[in-house]
Amino acid sequence: MGTRNKRAGPWLVLGLPIALGLAWITQGSGVIENDLERNIYIPEELTMPLQVQAAHNGEQIFFRYRWPASQPHVYHDMLRYEDGEWIRHGRSVPGPDPDGTYEDRVAMLVDDGGVPQFSRYGGYITVGNQMRFFTNSASPADVQAHPHLGEQLGQSDVRKYLPATRTDQNDWRSVVDADVLTTQREAGYFLDLWHWRAGRSNAVNASDDQWIGEYRNSDAGTGPYTTNWDGDTNQPRWMLDPEQTGQRALRWEDVTSGQVDFDGLYFLSENNRTDFDPDHDWQNGDVIPRRLLRQPDGSRGDITVNAGPARWEDGYWDVTLMRDMDTRSPLDDKAFREQGVYDIAIGVYRNATGSRWHYVSHPYTVGLGREADFQAMAFEGDSPDWSSDWFDMTLFYPGQVDWPLLISRAHAGAEDIAQGTPVRARHSEKQLALYGVEMEFNDAITSRWMMTLIAGLIAMLGVAIALLPAFRQTRQGDRS
Amino acid sequence: MNGTHAMLSHFPVGFWALATLMILVGAFMTGRLAEISRAALLPVLVLSLLGALAAIAIGLIVWPMAANLTSPLARNHILMSFWSLGIYAVITVLVWKAGDTAFDDARRWALVILALTGGLMFSAAGTLGGHLAGSTTAFSKVLGLMGWEVYTTFYSPLWVIAIMVLIGIALGALGIMSQRRTG
Repeated sequence: MGTRNKRAGPWLVLGLPIALGLAWITQGSGVIENDLERNIYIPEELTMPLQVQAAHNGEQIFFRYRWPASQPHVYHDMLRYEDGEWIRHGRSVPGPDPDGTYEDRVAMLVDDGGVPQFSRYGGYITVGNQMRFFTNSASPADVQAHPHLGEQLGQSDVRKYLPATRTDQNDWRSVVDADVLTTQREAGYFLDLWHWRAGRSNAVNASDDQWIGEYRNSDAGTGPYTTNWDGDTNQPRWMLDPEQTGQRALRWEDVTSGQVDFDGLYFLSENNRTDFDPDHDWQNGDVIPRRLLRQPDGSRGDITVNAGPARWEDGYWDVTLMRDMDTRSPLDDKAFREQGVYDIAIGVYRNATGSRWHYVSHPYTVGLGREADFQAMAFEGDSPDWSSDWFDMTLFYPGQVDWPLLISRAHAGAEDIAQGTPVRARHSEKQLALYGVEMEFNDAITSRWMMTLIAGLIAMLGVAIALLPAFRQTRQGDRS
Repeated sequence: MNGTHAMLSHFPVGFWALATLMILVGAFMTGRLAEISRAALLPVLVLSLLGALAAIAIGLIVWPMAANLTSPLARNHILMSFWSLGIYAVITVLVWKAGDTAFDDARRWALVILALTGGLMFSAAGTLGGHLAGSTTAFSKVLGLMGWEVYTTFYSPLWVIAIMVLIGIALGALGIMSQRRTG
């Protein structure tokens, strides 16, 4: 028996590499999966490229964005006629819209130094407590009951806001007093938001113009779209003008085909609409956009599409936005000046996703003649020739990581943030994407990790006990 | 504490690397160097465990425990550190138990397998420590080629965890039965 132990016993050690090898080849599986009930949807691709150029002619500034998208999504929020009812397609949902009726977008946050944390942490500082479409998002009833967000602003969800607009970073409700908000805004403590939408603005060569303070607010004026729905009659207010367009509606098979004729008819606007005709013989599959496009007005209409509308071609969106360098709206916009350096962070929506299912960039600087990450090239004339090189960014899916977490004891880098170390010095885009996904399953992963650790130690203990008889010290006479 | 942990970590990593080398030399070579390796292995292992305990104890207080348990990199660093400690503790016990016969017959293969497994673990623990300190190495790419993206937490599905535990229990039971039979 002893001899058998000496010969076979040591090979029981193989149990350990088998156990740990099995753990190795299966690691990372068994937890992460989509759960739409909990607002969890993980994109197949966690990062994507974005190319950016900027230029200015002393009066206007231009930003050009180019990114890959397998197909254009220009249809957004559609009403499909089915058996006597107009059914809505394209409301905000977790992950991609199942019918593809959710628009592509590019959004750019801009600052002139009024929000110092933005230059270091980019859009992360705008992701507050219990944001909409987070697993723990605030309930609409709670937001509606809030004296400022609900009763004054008329909102029902928590959207982007800046840290200093709250007295408690762990409570979205703790909005500072209205006069403090006003003073913050006057002091430049807000982010300008350029917000181009493929469905709700592009076709009329417009972009939305918004700003981030205590909420994602719109600039003064009217936006590039309004709602085409009469709640009293449960039907659209307008339809396509048949005299002008030759049709009253789009067709569902065209809307969901993934193909767009940018020179054709794919939207409803003030220029091609007429009053809805409830007596028309509507057919199943007729589609009327639930959004009516219009020319934006006031400060909200400052940003336009250069040589628009922007188009998707050969797998890429190519969007150029332009705006007066100084819009004379200092409470809504950040003015650009020659020799200035400005902080930007860009988000892109594609694949029919909205809300937090976007890809975002690190913060970067754009310079107008001063050293920065990339330059807005000076030119003369009305439109840049874009002869300068592209500035390449990698955008990433940010997952459910909010600012309260980042400055809490649960973030190892909280001390770095307190000391002002920029995120780019510590985390790559890929790293942030992977962390963002893991945070959506943090409790489950932590538990499974602990179980794995302990199981490995149990396997080691078992191997040790199994090997002990074979490693019993042999006297000289025992050796053979 | 971060600097202290980094300083202390050199001891177990250094001793484990040395112990692994000594096991390989002791197992596959003959002559004076092999004899010295076999003879000096136990003290090196004991020192490695003492160094590891000190490094881990300090390491666990570098950041708040909430941060340790939330960061994928920190979780991985902890797991690989504990597994390294576990494997070299097993080697230490076996070498101590076998004395100067630890390298006899098939025992040397057991030590080699354990040392190589432990080597992978402490290499991973070390490179993860570098990541946490802001100094990445190319070794993480090697780990990536081996199927593990180090920015994701190392955890296993439940069925694998069950098999790992069963392997441990089964081997432990075999060892206990064997000991009883041989007295």
